[in-house]
Amino acid sequence: MSSANGLICFTNCLLPQEDGGLVEKDLWIDERRGVILDSQKTFFVRKERPDRVIDLGGNILSPGFLDIQINGAYNFDFSVYEGDDETYRTGLHRVAEKIVETGVTSLLPTIITQERSLYPKLLHLLRPYSSPTSATLLGWHAEGPFIQFAKRGAHEPQFLLPAKEDIKSFEEVYGADNLAVTEDWLMGDHHVGVRVITAAPEVDGVMASIDELVRRGVVFSIGHSIATTGLATAAVQNGARLITHLFNAMPQLHHRDPSIIGLLGASPHLSSASSPTSPVSAAFPKILRVPSSVRRLAAESGPQATSEAFDDVQTPPLTPILPHAELDDLHLQKGKVTDLAFERPFYELIVDGIHSHPNSVRLAYSSFPEGCILITDAMKILDPHLKDGVHEWRDGKRFVKSGDKLYLEGTDTLAGSVVTLDKCVRNFSRFTGCSLGEAIRCATYNPAKCLGIENRKGTLRPGADADLVVLDRKGKVLSTWVRGREVWSKS
Amino acid sequence: MRLIIRDNTTAVGEYIGNYIAKRINDFAPTPEKPFVLGLPTGSSPIPTYKHLIRLVKEGKLSFKNVVTFNMDEYVGLPDDHPESYHTFMFREFFSHIDIPPSQVNILNGNAKNLIEECKSYEEKIKKYGGIELFLGGIGEDGHIAFNEPGSSLASRTRIKTLAYDTILANARFFNNDIAAVPRMALTVGVATVLDSREVVVVVTGQRKALALSKAIEEGVNHLWTLSALQLHPWALIVVDEDATAELHVKTVKYFKSIERVQDEVEAMHEALKKQGLDEPVGSME
Repeated sequence: MSSANGLICFTNCLLPQEDGGLVEKDLWIDERRGVILDSQKTFFVRKERPDRVIDLGGNILSPGFLDIQINGAYNFDFSVYEGDDETYRTGLHRVAEKIVETGVTSLLPTIITQERSLYPKLLHLLRPYSSPTSATLLGWHAEGPFIQFAKRGAHEPQFLLPAKEDIKSFEEVYGADNLAVTEDWLMGDHHVGVRVITAAPEVDGVMASIDELVRRGVVFSIGHSIATTGLATAAVQNGARLITHLFNAMPQLHHRDPSIIGLLGASPHLSSASSPTSPVSAAFPKILRVPSSVRRLAAESGPQATSEAFDDVQTPPLTPILPHAELDDLHLQKGKVTDLAFERPFYELIVDGIHSHPNSVRLAYSSFPEGCILITDAMKILDPHLKDGVHEWRDGKRFVKSGDKLYLEGTDTLAGSVVTLDKCVRNFSRFTGCSLGEAIRCATYNPAKCLGIENRKGTLRPGADADLVVLDRKGKVLSTWVRGREVWSKS
Repeated sequence: MRLIIRDNTTAVGEYIGNYIAKRINDFAPTPEKPFVLGLPTGSSPIPTYKHLIRLVKEGKLSFKNVVTFNMDEYVGLPDDHPESYHTFMFREFFSHIDIPPSQVNILNGNAKNLIEECKSYEEKIKKYGGIELFLGGIGEDGHIAFNEPGSSLASRTRIKTLAYDTILANARFFNNDIAAVPRMALTVGVATVLDSREVVVVVTGQRKALALSKAIEEGVNHLWTLSALQLHPWALIVVDEDATAELHVKTVKYFKSIERVQDEVEAMHEALKKQGLDEPVGSME
């Protein structure tokens, strides 16, 4: 059923706001142009009102979810190329068509570390794509190969690389034309798909490349890394904007060097590049991380004083001591945090209850709610209809799926997840105690803002794509809309 | 003039909402002969709008053949500013009912030629054959629309400078920043309101009590422009108990008693109608 004048009014519904609120309000869309309307302007200037009114019965009308880290789904792995472009495209499009049942209307296919010759091929195939009945493919997220060996997780060790020639190394691996600068990558047909690169800033040449990658519109994400807080802070000062699956594939939170996780608590006075006590200058001592194997070896060589420090890092000598320099005045306004140049990065959380303990999720969220982004990091066996058991992966390896848990067969290494994003939203609200509206923000507005596309995706702003998901008050998906058309509905 | 007193603002809103609905439905408007309705903004009419919206959603009322004229709009405030009266009317009323946008009229406070804008507004009202029912509210200083104290009681639609009282009262909508409150507005005149065939005014809250007493217990006075209503042949004021605080006990008792009599008269009229004896049963006054 379509509307005579092409306009639809959703009424009797709650609209998630960009601040996490839920407001009872109507939403007007133009189903022909597939965009959200400024209803007041439509009424007073265009002198039109929707011919079709949809009563949502008090349910929630959210922007469609964005998943900015997903490795595959519905038995298709974005990282596997079987020598045929058409097969790859078909698989890719199948994922985009089916994923809408989980409320996702935009996703960023993520490829893990590949044999380097495969990159140009895959990344070319992963250029943005949308169709009237499927979720939008936003481009690509390359996780690796410039990552830390000690935190490689399920990545193939022999494919990991240093960036010896800085940005040139990135160009050589991903293909220079995949890293070209584009002004508005969502528009037009000849866009490149580079969106996010996950790399470890301590890997040779990576830190020196961040600046240039950012200039080319790439979101640099810190991940699979053992960077110290000082190093991670420097990466952010250079333009890093995201942390890949927080808590996973990085050192754990140590109070004397909270490492990458510590960015969430970045002190506004100490982290700013202009601060005389900037960690990149002298205040934070350089911390030497040593591989755990070395530590273990040292431990075996004889009894010695044990520390509560985690095993892959030497206990830092001291937290920073402020030099007796002339400092700025301290402000006197209760409840306000001083506003300095350092912007904390967004951070991804896998909220399946396995990759991060619920308490850790709450801890991260309470320290920086505006930066929280929910991701699935899902593997190709993500499919809400799939049974538990052993499943084929790649290179002859196999997964074991048990509920939302996913291991490499015969190991206890987590190999990504099989949780759906709508379930992450529900979990998140339960784990943190935040409202459903605030949980929705972490799967809509926050990821869109991180990618800089909040005018088109992840919000209900006038002019944004009418990618919508109707949720009941328990957060279950009732129907999904893409560009103003219903593409999936329960029942 | 009739004065109806209700316990609270919700009851006031229901009374006026039902009243307007009955008038529209009795009028049986058509595209050729629409019902022309004057509308106010402000907090007082919100319960009325809420009730009218409910009646529309329940299918008991339609605005398909209703033409509306709003009383006023700020000068120089963008239409889509959160405090503009365009925004107010859309948010509180028009977006929820079935009125076609082409039948909605609001003064354009951003028109290049404001004088021309006012003139053509009056002409447009005339073209529709005048306003059938004007719903209004008042300010604490007794103004109806933006006809501030001292406005000519013969005034038509025009540019008006806001009184300091009004600016202070409206500052709460502009982050309590007095400097941000527009200084001027376009408004229908007192005579524009008096020209309509029926005027219904909602007055609620104790802060409006003095204005109410000045308007109905004293003489016609341009310092309390609502008092001009005394010259209108078919006016109705609906108030809550709080708004009666400055009235004489005698005034309140009088209006309460004639409401009861009116109810009895109407009940008798209904009964007679049923018996097929449709005789005139006295004045509505």
